[in-house]
Amino acid sequence: MIKKQLYRFYKFIKKPYNVILSVLLIVLGYLTLFPMLTMIKDTFTVHVSESMRLKQAAGTFTLNHWLKVLFDPSSLSVFYKPFLNSLVTSLGACLVALVFGGVFSWLITRTNIRWKKALSSLFIFPYIMPSWTLALAWFNVFKNSVVGGVPGTFQALTGIEPPNWFAYGAFPIALVTGLHYAPFAYIMIGGVLRNMDANLEEAAMMLKTKRNRIVRKITIPMILPAVLSTFLLVFSSAMSSFAVPQFLGLPVRYQVLTTQLYRTLNGINPGQGYCIAMIMILLSVGILAFNQRMVGTRKNYTTVTGKSSNISLVNLKKARNVISVIALILIVIVSILPLVSFALESVILRPGDYSPSNFTLQFWIGTAEENSIANNEAGLLRNPNLWKALWNSLKLSIICAITAGSLGFLAGYGIVRGRGTKLAKVVDNLAFFPYLMPSMAFSVIYLSMFSTRHGPIPALYGSFFLLVLIGTVKYMPFASRSGINSMLQLSNQIEEAGEIIGVSWPKRMGRLVIPIQKSSFISGYLLPFTSCMRELSLFVLLVTPQNRVLTTLLFQYNEKGWSQYSNGINLMIVIIVLVVNAVVNKVTGASIDKGIGG
Amino acid sequence: MKTVRLISVMMVLLLLALPVFANGQTETTSAKVEEKVMTHDEMVEAAKAEGTLTVYTYSSRTTKIGDAFTAKYGIPVEVTQLKDTEMIEKVSKEAAANLDAADVVFCQDGSRVIPELVYTNYVTAYIPENISGHIVDAEFENPLVFEAMPKVFIYNNEDVTEQPLTNIWQLTEPEWKGALQFKDPFSEAVNMNFFAMITREDWAQKIADAYKSYYGKEIQLTTKNAGYEWIKAIYNNGCVLGKSDTTIGENVGAKGQHRNLVGLFTLNKMRNAKSKDLALSPAYGMEPFSGFMYPAYVFVAGNAKAPNAAKLFIEFAFTEEGWKPFNLLGDYSPVDYLSDNAEDDLTIVDWKNQLVWEDPAWCAESRADVEEFISSIV
Repeated sequence: MIKKQLYRFYKFIKKPYNVILSVLLIVLGYLTLFPMLTMIKDTFTVHVSESMRLKQAAGTFTLNHWLKVLFDPSSLSVFYKPFLNSLVTSLGACLVALVFGGVFSWLITRTNIRWKKALSSLFIFPYIMPSWTLALAWFNVFKNSVVGGVPGTFQALTGIEPPNWFAYGAFPIALVTGLHYAPFAYIMIGGVLRNMDANLEEAAMMLKTKRNRIVRKITIPMILPAVLSTFLLVFSSAMSSFAVPQFLGLPVRYQVLTTQLYRTLNGINPGQGYCIAMIMILLSVGILAFNQRMVGTRKNYTTVTGKSSNISLVNLKKARNVISVIALILIVIVSILPLVSFALESVILRPGDYSPSNFTLQFWIGTAEENSIANNEAGLLRNPNLWKALWNSLKLSIICAITAGSLGFLAGYGIVRGRGTKLAKVVDNLAFFPYLMPSMAFSVIYLSMFSTRHGPIPALYGSFFLLVLIGTVKYMPFASRSGINSMLQLSNQIEEAGEIIGVSWPKRMGRLVIPIQKSSFISGYLLPFTSCMRELSLFVLLVTPQNRVLTTLLFQYNEKGWSQYSNGINLMIVIIVLVVNAVVNKVTGASIDKGIGG
Repeated sequence: MKTVRLISVMMVLLLLALPVFANGQTETTSAKVEEKVMTHDEMVEAAKAEGTLTVYTYSSRTTKIGDAFTAKYGIPVEVTQLKDTEMIEKVSKEAAANLDAADVVFCQDGSRVIPELVYTNYVTAYIPENISGHIVDAEFENPLVFEAMPKVFIYNNEDVTEQPLTNIWQLTEPEWKGALQFKDPFSEAVNMNFFAMITREDWAQKIADAYKSYYGKEIQLTTKNAGYEWIKAIYNNGCVLGKSDTTIGENVGAKGQHRNLVGLFTLNKMRNAKSKDLALSPAYGMEPFSGFMYPAYVFVAGNAKAPNAAKLFIEFAFTEEGWKPFNLLGDYSPVDYLSDNAEDDLTIVDWKNQLVWEDPAWCAESRADVEEFISSIV
């Protein structure tokens, strides 16, 4: 009996993917399940900040939070209304992303539109930039007299005051979020359109089927799974986005779940906040499960068949130039204009005044003595604090990218090879969990988890390693998704062939799997890097003065109201990310879009 | 079989997890600030031996106190700026784990600082010798207030010759519909504390009296008291929530708008009003208040690794040299020899008389009710 058990164990352990999965199960279990359990516990206990009011000791069991969130007269405004608003804006964002991204991907892959290359790389920009850049731009252009101050650009130019529904609330939130995630749609739908077997369409063509009938009966059904995936991805991302609704909803007090979460976590009732977070997590898990089921039934995931010939492109004829120009203008507005506005805002003395005399470079190159308007803070390029923070940010982002990317790839390998086993399923979900956890809650829990020694795990607080750890865990979902996608595309037979002739596992990985999937392997590093560079709330609690990062500096300047400095740092962050992406893309052929869509 | 193995792994994980849950109850064995009386020179010597001093603060200007302190005593200072919530979380978690983190803590938001940091002994007040007997009001002493900052109703004065606001109930009238702006109290704790304060019975009574003096009749309550009633009324009159006091100041004060506009924001934004070409005036002497004033406290961290340097730093912050970065319009010191503000004729007491002063104990008790009330106003 024992022998049999041992033999089973030996067989289990001999498969590298089982080892990978088991290790990941333990590590991720500790690093993700634990915060989850802590959070669940916090929804049922009295928090220190409310102990005085409830006249109960902190840590006592209570049902109060759940009752208040779900079954109280105030639940309507605390939970149900924001919930409804979240649904509305997220669905709206899906619609925008699908229409904008879908039409664009069709134009690029199936028509003879001009400047394909430029348009295609510019289109990804909004995703690389922080989501609120577009929100900020919208606000600056369309703000009306509700908030007062200098009129928005649109009103200044046309004299027409944009109505409230247009300037703030559901409409712009949905639109801006949709535009931000439109690259998802482009990448996924475009990927299918580019790679799908053209034989079907050609066959229809030979039977002289009308073009719009082909589109209706063949193209659309073919891309439907990609549309569905995009829908779910955009929907859950939009549900959890915070910056855009906070920016565009506040003037008219339009609350969604995330802003409500922020308010409760920031107020003195974190328990209620955790309840809302739990509901959001459940919702996302539901969506995820649905997505997995859909993708799971789509057995044939292989997109590279080598059979498809070049499908004839739709000739836009006379409309070609017009459509090309319109597409270019739209994309420039969405992708380039925010950058220009950052640059502009960092070189003007008094905000809102664009006359030549108001321009200055002092916020970039001024010495401390010259900058009396900003409390004698040296210009960005002369500021030692900035250089230190920049170095820290780069170091952190690169290390996080390497660890998250590598682990994610291994996770992807393990999950795909161990497909069908419970273990793989559990690890798959564990690796995705951190994506659903609100950053702020995540870092609060990490702070208490790692501030003291627990068994073999020392107190990591204050160390650079802890920042790396939380960044790795939080961004691994991106890498593991892309790892899974790329492994799904890779036929099992290749590795099996190596296995049969006795090639060792490290060699199989190093010589076969990784080289074949090189570009999507490297893409798995780009998303964690990008996200890490622009992350604030995840790190702000855990940094110490020695390892301050760029975004914490940005926050400080923002708080002081020195918009020139914060705009300047913003510009730097976006440019660094763009340059790194471009260089990696040039050198290895990997790109961020391969990371998302696979 | 596999399931069994999975379950056992899970169990192990849960067991590993237990110490973390137990964490909240652990006693802090914080090094008590020494009771022995030292001479000043001894304190300086002891401070120098302690190495780098770590300061947590709400204000970036603390860095300047740090620079001056280093120049004077040769003790290096490291300053970290934190938002209110982060401050509370960081200080309490670090103290609970008995980590060598902060030495000096400058913080605001009394409603959380008092119960979560002071009652727990994570931080302790220290009153340096140079200010004893110089604090102008007993309310600034316990816990020790480093500075007080007024947030005042400040209006756009481009088209007016006379102060248009004299009673807070005007803000609930159609002429001021959509005219009032302030920072979302859910992201600015001291604003929430202000709303909590005016629901206290004495303030509610004053608000009811102001109602009578403005309308000539008694207030009809639909809520608990006149304080709640006024909060509801301004929210229902379309007040606009802003992101930061800086932008609110710019939005209220921008010229060429020609309509009623008023913000409840920090007085120090008046400093740049001229250079930014903004038309702003504070509304003095409104009935029953012109806004509110909130304290920023200074403490020695309970487990400070440089307790003497921390004391020396606090002492230094209350000298003319240390106060210098704060000697500006909108910041008021509670000690008499620093109260002569460079840019303003009013003292901390003058302001306190026309503003709502934050009482941390009341705020700690009532703030959750007020938060709930405000989030239920749609």
